[in-house]
Amino acid sequence: MRNKSALTMVFISIMTAASFAGTLQGKVSTGNSVVYVDTISGKIFPASTKTIVVSQRGLQFVPHIVVVQEGTTVDFRNDDSVQHNVFWPSVGGNRKDAHNMGSWPQGDKRSYKFDHPGVVPLLCNVHSEMSGYIIVTPTPYFAETDAAGNFRIDNVPDGKYTVVAWHEGSKPEKKPVEVTGTAKVDFALAQ
Amino acid sequence: MLHFPLQLRNCRFLSFAFLVGILLSFSGAAHAIPAFARMYGTSCSTCHLDFPKLNDFGKAFKDAGFKFPKNDESMLKIPPVMLGAPANKELWPNAIWPGTIPGIPPIGLRYTNYLQYTGSSSSKFAALTPPGNLPPFIPTTDFETGVFTLLSAGNFGGDVAFWINNDLSVAGNNSGGGLGDAYLKFVNIGRLLKLPQYALNLRVGQFELEIPFTQARSIWTSPYDIYIQSNIGAMNPLFSQQFVNNNYVLAETGKGIELSGGRHTGGYNYSIAFIDQRTGGHTGFSPYVPTALGSNNGGLGVQSDADFKDIYASFNYRFNLERDKESRNAIQAAGSTGPRDHTYLNLGTYYLYGRTEQRLLGAGADGTASVLTAREPFYRVGGNVTFNYRCCLQFNALYMFGHDLNLLPVDAAGALIPLNQLGQITPAGFVRGRSATFSGGFADVEWLAYPWMMVLMRYDGVNSNADRVNALISNPPFTGAPFNAGAGSTRNRFTPGVQFLIHPNIKATFEYQFRPAQSVMVATNPFTGLPVALNPFHTNTAVLGFDFAY
Repeated sequence: MRNKSALTMVFISIMTAASFAGTLQGKVSTGNSVVYVDTISGKIFPASTKTIVVSQRGLQFVPHIVVVQEGTTVDFRNDDSVQHNVFWPSVGGNRKDAHNMGSWPQGDKRSYKFDHPGVVPLLCNVHSEMSGYIIVTPTPYFAETDAAGNFRIDNVPDGKYTVVAWHEGSKPEKKPVEVTGTAKVDFALAQ
Repeated sequence: MLHFPLQLRNCRFLSFAFLVGILLSFSGAAHAIPAFARMYGTSCSTCHLDFPKLNDFGKAFKDAGFKFPKNDESMLKIPPVMLGAPANKELWPNAIWPGTIPGIPPIGLRYTNYLQYTGSSSSKFAALTPPGNLPPFIPTTDFETGVFTLLSAGNFGGDVAFWINNDLSVAGNNSGGGLGDAYLKFVNIGRLLKLPQYALNLRVGQFELEIPFTQARSIWTSPYDIYIQSNIGAMNPLFSQQFVNNNYVLAETGKGIELSGGRHTGGYNYSIAFIDQRTGGHTGFSPYVPTALGSNNGGLGVQSDADFKDIYASFNYRFNLERDKESRNAIQAAGSTGPRDHTYLNLGTYYLYGRTEQRLLGAGADGTASVLTAREPFYRVGGNVTFNYRCCLQFNALYMFGHDLNLLPVDAAGALIPLNQLGQITPAGFVRGRSATFSGGFADVEWLAYPWMMVLMRYDGVNSNADRVNALISNPPFTGAPFNAGAGSTRNRFTPGVQFLIHPNIKATFEYQFRPAQSVMVATNPFTGLPVALNPFHTNTAVLGFDFAY
């Protein structure tokens, strides 16, 4: 009997929460872009416990673009038979957050926890053609678009936010959005 | 704590580099292999520090037969074309052994051009011109269209590598160009004899010998003087004469075969080559010999001076000095801010044994006409050392001693024939004279101050008494005049330089060739009555250049 009451309470809680969570969707003019909800003042989100792996394979960063929430740890793994390096000259344009991870042999990895939001351009100082990106978002509300540019972010609480769209080589664009249930926002990114 | 990658530090000087690039923007050119960049989708800097200078990975790539030492297939962005399924190996000899060709024609192009400034001392040579002759004119500044080169290299699958480079145009026209290196290299054939990996390779074709420091792919604009040192014996009758006419220089390519082994990234490496004699000791090929192409009416394809094959051997041992054993044995050392070249000490030695031939119309003891052949063995021997500190600082030095046997023509009575009277007195034989020798070398420092800026300093010294004597002008048109002559006189110079990589494939170069000042003294040869230049002046020159490859 006590268990039944508890289950009922949980169900009610979930339903209540769901009633305040909406969906943010839309389209970005260029595919393979990233869309995320920017910093929400007064809101602190628990750091993600996920570990993301970025591999260096075939003289490329794989995947080329990764989106993680602030506080996420990323493992950089060398899957090539040649030595690599990973460094980034800035985080979100802030050069003080530049870092050089050094080098490590095939099969090994090194980890780094990204505590500051922003775009992290990954480079290898051995193979200057290699590039990748880590987009560190301040909120857990983010998505990568499909090739056509469509995106959908679920479980966004109702409220007013600033939404950012980013694409490699384009100028990021911010737009205010009010989420009440389902909200729609489109971006036309300029080069 | 941020350890700035070199690229980041570059940014601070970007504007400076840009300005320098503009200032030097007369030039162009590179010597890398863009074909590899295309095949692997990677930058020139993967294999080159300051092209065409190889980094440790580039050396390993070359040692492996122009492919990645491990997992080459996974690195190729343009898959090769299969010339038969790999399973055909199981059917051999009932099927053709399979192989591959590059997925796209592995062609790269390179162009260089220069602006040269020459010191005003050139005018001093006008005083040497006798009345009735136009004095030479040497411009102070001169644009020099350089070399346009086609480069093709790659791998045919397995362990068969190839390389061809051809200078299509030299000095702005089609003259003087020609084939550079063109060879097939069978890498690691030692496996057939169960030898360790890379212990034995075979190279066939035309190639630059495995000389300690490459001349064909040097980062220096000017050649190493000792590498272009020939040994032309002293012809002036005032001195001890040398009937030596050896045009061979170590920098030139040889045609033949080479056995080699080892690695250039650590441990030993060696080379033993057998190449056609190419001394220029005599001319006049028979027009009636069969050719390599089957024709029987003209010497095409047969260009050797003689049957003799010159022999070249070199041995190097490189001590990688990294403390960490794993890093020491890796292709590149693991630095705190990324992989880098090893700190190493390389010691080497080399030896070339050859023979020149000179033929004269003479007479035997009974007076019958005969062809006299002077076969004059020669050798070049020396040593080399390199100390490299990580990515960025390298000291190199090379010493060479050259020795040619000197056979002097004698008449029927056994008396020496003055060489300037050789056409007037019939020789009957030869006697051994004092050998013709020279020595010298160079030492340089190459400092990669930034990944895009190489600072250089070199000293060249060549000591050849024969050259000194030959510089004394004996007759018009003064071909012995030493003005900037490649092998005209005993010489030495300091050459500071700087190079900027504007892009990985575009380089601006600058060299100032500082030659110690020497005065020109004109006297009259008491025997011939002709003017004589004493202490010939060596003129300073500055060279701006651009290199690009694509």
